[in-house]
Amino acid sequence: MKIFIVMGVGILIGRFLMTGRIKKWNERLAMLCTLLLIFSMGVMLGQKENFLSELSSLGLKSFLFFLIPTLVSIILVYILTKRFMEKKHSDSEGEDK
Amino acid sequence: MIVLFTLLALVLGLFCGLSGFNPTPVSFLSQHSDMILYILMFSVGISIGMHNGILKKIRQYHLKILIIPLGITVGSVIGGLICAVILGISPAEGAAVASGMGWYSLAGVTISRLGGAELGSIAFMSNLMREFFSFFLIPIIASRLNNYTCIAPAAATSEDTTLPVLLKYTNEETVVLAVLNGILCSFFVPILITFFFNI
Repeated sequence: MKIFIVMGVGILIGRFLMTGRIKKWNERLAMLCTLLLIFSMGVMLGQKENFLSELSSLGLKSFLFFLIPTLVSIILVYILTKRFMEKKHSDSEGEDK
Repeated sequence: MIVLFTLLALVLGLFCGLSGFNPTPVSFLSQHSDMILYILMFSVGISIGMHNGILKKIRQYHLKILIIPLGITVGSVIGGLICAVILGISPAEGAAVASGMGWYSLAGVTISRLGGAELGSIAFMSNLMREFFSFFLIPIIASRLNNYTCIAPAAATSEDTTLPVLLKYTNEETVVLAVLNGILCSFFVPILITFFFNI
């Protein structure tokens, strides 16, 4: 819940900030935070007991459980959005960042 | 470039964790990852707020807003069932593991408790892989398929960790849809896992 309040405050502040320079710096900040989050995820994983042995024994099964559900989700969402969402809102597609 | 940095951040983190190299900045970062997430969400909020008329656009979708979370949830469960057939485990367990939809911490803990340590570890690692590989899949999907589909690999994580990558490779409209999708998928994760262990 706290996370959405923080985001809501960001949205309110963002409404009053219109300069391109702030946008760029804000994007950099978001990317830095993501990299720091991934780094701390790595630290947490590395500190987890038996992480390497679990990865070697259950890695392939886990990979399969990542790959197939993700692929089926991608295919299904692509078909559904192509059919029901893309036509009416095609003007919003392809906005380059 | 981002993909490379992402990989580097993970490798460095793993190195620090595995080797026990834990100077103050590293332990500070790993202990305050919630704080980093708050800053990230604040920053994403600013990006959305700076984009004029975005909420009006989103309102036009009405019930269609449910298409993406529905596709992701159904797709994940079907994928889990396929894995169960391939690996020779019970369909309910397979569906439960895939129902984690990237929320590795919750899926790992819940499935360990309900289905045993081995299945819990598979749930943890497979959902972690889903979150991690999303960083690589999103740019590819954005250029080959469409913006909406970029939310599919991210699933429940589309409201937090994978959101900046979605912001980078899609647009603000997709980002708002991603937040809504993340909320809905995260809501379904514990319900689906419990459901599949009770049928």
